[in-house]
Amino acid sequence: MAVVGHWRSAARTHAGKVRERNEDAFLECPEQGLWVVADGMGGHQGGDIASQMIVASLAELPLHGNFDDRLIGIRRCLHWLNRRLGQELTVNAGRQDSIIGSTVVALLMEENRAACVWAGDSRCYLWRGQRLYQLSRDHSLQQQLIDERQMNARQARAHPGGHALTRAVGAAEQLTLEVLELEVFAGDAFLLCSDGLYQGLSSDALGHALSLALPAMALKRLFDDALRGAARDNLTAVVIRG
Amino acid sequence: MTDPLQTDPDGQALVAPPDDDPPSDFTYYAFAQSKNREPARLSAPSAFSTMPDVLAGRYCIERLLGAGGMGAVYRARDLLAQQYGDPDPYVALKVLNEDFAESPDASAVLYSEFCLTRYLRHDNVLRVHGFHVDTACERAFITMELMRGLTLDQLLCERPLGLPWQELRQIVLPLLDALAYAHGCGVIHGDVKPSNVMLSENGVRLFDFGLGRAEEGVLPGLPHLSRERFNAWTPGYAAPELLEYGQLSASADIYAVACVIYELASGKHPFRHLPSTQARDEHLHVGLQAPARLPKRCWPALRTALAFDTGDRAITAGQMRDAFTGSSSWPWYRKIRPSW
Repeated sequence: MAVVGHWRSAARTHAGKVRERNEDAFLECPEQGLWVVADGMGGHQGGDIASQMIVASLAELPLHGNFDDRLIGIRRCLHWLNRRLGQELTVNAGRQDSIIGSTVVALLMEENRAACVWAGDSRCYLWRGQRLYQLSRDHSLQQQLIDERQMNARQARAHPGGHALTRAVGAAEQLTLEVLELEVFAGDAFLLCSDGLYQGLSSDALGHALSLALPAMALKRLFDDALRGAARDNLTAVVIRG
Repeated sequence: MTDPLQTDPDGQALVAPPDDDPPSDFTYYAFAQSKNREPARLSAPSAFSTMPDVLAGRYCIERLLGAGGMGAVYRARDLLAQQYGDPDPYVALKVLNEDFAESPDASAVLYSEFCLTRYLRHDNVLRVHGFHVDTACERAFITMELMRGLTLDQLLCERPLGLPWQELRQIVLPLLDALAYAHGCGVIHGDVKPSNVMLSENGVRLFDFGLGRAEEGVLPGLPHLSRERFNAWTPGYAAPELLEYGQLSASADIYAVACVIYELASGKHPFRHLPSTQARDEHLHVGLQAPARLPKRCWPALRTALAFDTGDRAITAGQMRDAFTGSSSWPWYRKIRPSW
């Protein structure tokens, strides 16, 4: 577990019980106030390449500059990766399904400022005042059905292809990132995770885990709970606590 | 599937040699430590889970620099160079992806890339150091100079409106010079695109000859990549004849480099990143505008280089360079002036 200043964090990824490959990746950088989860697009060749490129590139971003500069740096880096994965990859004639992409959710923190940047269905949760808030809104067909056709979550989940992403790094020529800035309070806990983790767990289970005092304990609880289930997908979580 | 938490409990396995007893071929370098350990902890790349942290007892893998359909490039620390006090013991290291590495001639393809690149001695072509095999994990790899700077696709993201001529010429002239030199040596690159050109602190570098080819009679005996069995390209930069017939010639490099130059000059790909065959069928060549910041004298050469038909693409890299420097004898008919 990493401890820096007043931020402690813990991170883990697991292939799950079914998949042979782990296409998730994380970055845990408490010294830089930066944490990332990326989930390579399943079914496509090289999903792990995409998620690994994201965490490796974000890890190399310059440390100098103020919060706003660094936030711009993260966004610029993700736009570049979108181009690199979408337009610059060499395609083998035998493999036409050559879309390589990944979700991303990144959390940047400095003193009492935080910014969450995301594309896709990897999520950022905030545990504050004994309540769980989902800070990121999924870029998925499911979420689109809820927003645009007023379906409830259960109906949307039953929709065939509801898991399909509407945004991801590398998926389309233009990437639109979503950014949420917020003020951080003492006692806040954050969770970044891939869908493989949150899909097997109720909000109550997420909340209970995040209420634990240490990130490592929260992480253990999350994985113990998730791995008791089917764990069909890769699962990744990063817990950050003040 | 290995759990990185088990293999990497303190987060250091990616940046330092393993703490347990080193294998016998590792003894000399076991004391070498990273001078600048990274505080970041990254999950281990699972696709390369069979790849050890140290290759051939010498190259300590530090970070993924780039990856594509066929191979991945890492920054690695040369523990032997470090042991002897080399102030910059870092190299770029290319390995083939696990999927591709299993094909029988994969190592030969990698060797061909090494050999083609080594054959070219030019300031604007990346330098390769060596071809190696890690016998324990049965993986071949190339070591190369580690470039520090921006690839042109990164540059384009930072400069979405393109570059003014003063900056553009400092990239384009060395790039065309490198290409003219390679073609003069009988070597075709085969995959010219922004991400294969680096604007490094030591100047412009053309790299990744992984899809390259030597012309007949050059480097005889070198295994040639069979385009019948292995045909690959980057859709936005591949000339029509490459997409349609797998025909790779110097002329295909000309089309690709012209797309790169046009994009650097205007910020926009000449044909919206469409495959050239589609751009041709949609007659996009007709409405092509000269980039506003490109000197007028360059445009005839650039437009010719962007021709979809190989017969119309009647210009060499050297002629393009000369047209861009203003010392051109191309096109010859412009020299014919009325005598009055």
